[in-house]
Amino acid sequence: MISTEELFNILLLVAIALLFTRILGFLFHKLKQPVVIGEIIAGIVLGAVSVYVFSGQKFIFFNYIVTPPNLSELFQSPEFTLFAEIGILFLLFISGLETSLSKLKKTEKASSFVAVGGVIMPLLLGFLSGIILGFSVIESVMIGLILTATSVGVTVRTLMDLHVLNTDVGATILGGAVIDDIIGIILLTFALGIGSLIDAVWIGVKIAIFFLVFLYLGLKVIDKVLFIGEKINLPKSFLSITLAILLLYSFFADEAGISGIIGAFVAGILIGQNVRSKKIIDDIKAIGYGFFIPIFFFSVGLSLWTSENVEISSFSNILIFIIIIISMSIIGKIVGCGIGAKLSGMSNLESLQVSVGMIPRMELALIIVTAAISHGILTGQVAHTVLLTTILLTIITSLITPFLIKATFKNDK
Amino acid sequence: MAKQIKLISDFYNLEVNQLMDKRVWDLPLIVENEDILHVLSILGARNHIWVVKDKESKELVGVITEHDVLSILAPKHFPTYVFGMPDIRSIQHGTAKTAGDVMANKIITCNPDEKIIDALMKMVKYKLRRLPVIKDNTIVGELTLNQLIRKYYSATQYHPIIDDKEG
Repeated sequence: MISTEELFNILLLVAIALLFTRILGFLFHKLKQPVVIGEIIAGIVLGAVSVYVFSGQKFIFFNYIVTPPNLSELFQSPEFTLFAEIGILFLLFISGLETSLSKLKKTEKASSFVAVGGVIMPLLLGFLSGIILGFSVIESVMIGLILTATSVGVTVRTLMDLHVLNTDVGATILGGAVIDDIIGIILLTFALGIGSLIDAVWIGVKIAIFFLVFLYLGLKVIDKVLFIGEKINLPKSFLSITLAILLLYSFFADEAGISGIIGAFVAGILIGQNVRSKKIIDDIKAIGYGFFIPIFFFSVGLSLWTSENVEISSFSNILIFIIIIISMSIIGKIVGCGIGAKLSGMSNLESLQVSVGMIPRMELALIIVTAAISHGILTGQVAHTVLLTTILLTIITSLITPFLIKATFKNDK
Repeated sequence: MAKQIKLISDFYNLEVNQLMDKRVWDLPLIVENEDILHVLSILGARNHIWVVKDKESKELVGVITEHDVLSILAPKHFPTYVFGMPDIRSIQHGTAKTAGDVMANKIITCNPDEKIIDALMKMVKYKLRRLPVIKDNTIVGELTLNQLIRKYYSATQYHPIIDDKEG
């Protein structure tokens, strides 16, 4: 049982997290930078403040002794982590809801080529760099995986500014980014499974069974289930039922040994195909965007401070690792997506434009690193290094991509 | 008062095909791959368009309302806080070219033999003002809130609810 005092201290923390993420997020939005980066930085800053100021000291103002709640301890509490973990589920659920299977089927050949090339090359380069730098096989796989999924937000905005969104390049990038997210999620499932059981075949079977039962059969019965759900005519009861489906799917996916986040994504796809999703999509977004998702990004920044102390002597090693991984992420996408685009019949310049547009990484990279840490695949010093690298990866790739895109389009005119 | 109750319950129990607009030839229909400018020209006169796969089969695939056009007509503000497939349809950026690009493809429909009360409940639940009447995936008419209001009002004025003029 959680005591009342603890409870309200954690709620205080949630309040602080919500306020800071939104303020910094807005600031970054005004600076035309990704909101998510602002929210992560909110976590980093508050983490620092909590470690150095609010870690159990007493403050004396005149004659009053003030004992603020021990923030750094609270930030690591399971209760706070729970909110962040639910945030991940909401992120994937919303992604699933907005992924239209029919649109996906119509995606051009070029997008699939670009997506596949853009997954293979960074995965390979990341994996090899990990091995060469002395990480274990599974750690290296995770490092490779973090580099696979493109976040298209930054690119779309840049292409809009340049008024080239309606070109083949724009369409290919958009399609490619959606597909490589899905490939990334599926690969993550494999990787997380391999971490706990060595038997890759068995995991393959389990994934196949899960998809068969929960997606294929789900698509057949979901309409009936939602129809019955709709009959419960209480305020927002339909929303409760969709949320229950989301959580049940995550539970069963986790039971099947294939990570709960896949369950959330599949549940999203399933419900998103149904006409009735129209009614709840705004409510789901209200809960996700308004509450749980900012807390997730906040906690990513925060968790930089909760890992073990880093020795200064290893600093140069970490710096080298960061530089190598970020370079690999950029080279991997340019080469991989470039080859993919070229194979699908685009010109050299178009291939370059597409591949540059695929560089940014954001949400899924952060989700993958968090999942790897919470599944115990990345631990201790390694976890800390990879997390730091991923955060810097998201920031740097989002900052440089607009310049690179503008440069490649300048040659066009 | 008793008369009112009798009237409204009679009204509820009517079937959709008794009140719907059956003049399919007069419905605002457009084929999925037609140009966006054609959509705009129809919407100048009507406030919604049913999108069909082709003119012959009249298989309903979507609907375009004024609100859908608002979202492509207004400048796009694209926050980076979007997950999943981003919605990039916009007239300004040339990414909304055909009727199919703009339409909402999840459509709430009703059947000709459904009761009016059920149709009304659908309108309430999904915040709609019009429902297409569908038989074997084909649009056979439409039921609008405006029609229902007119029919109900005229029934209170000692006219029979169903007049066959429009049917």
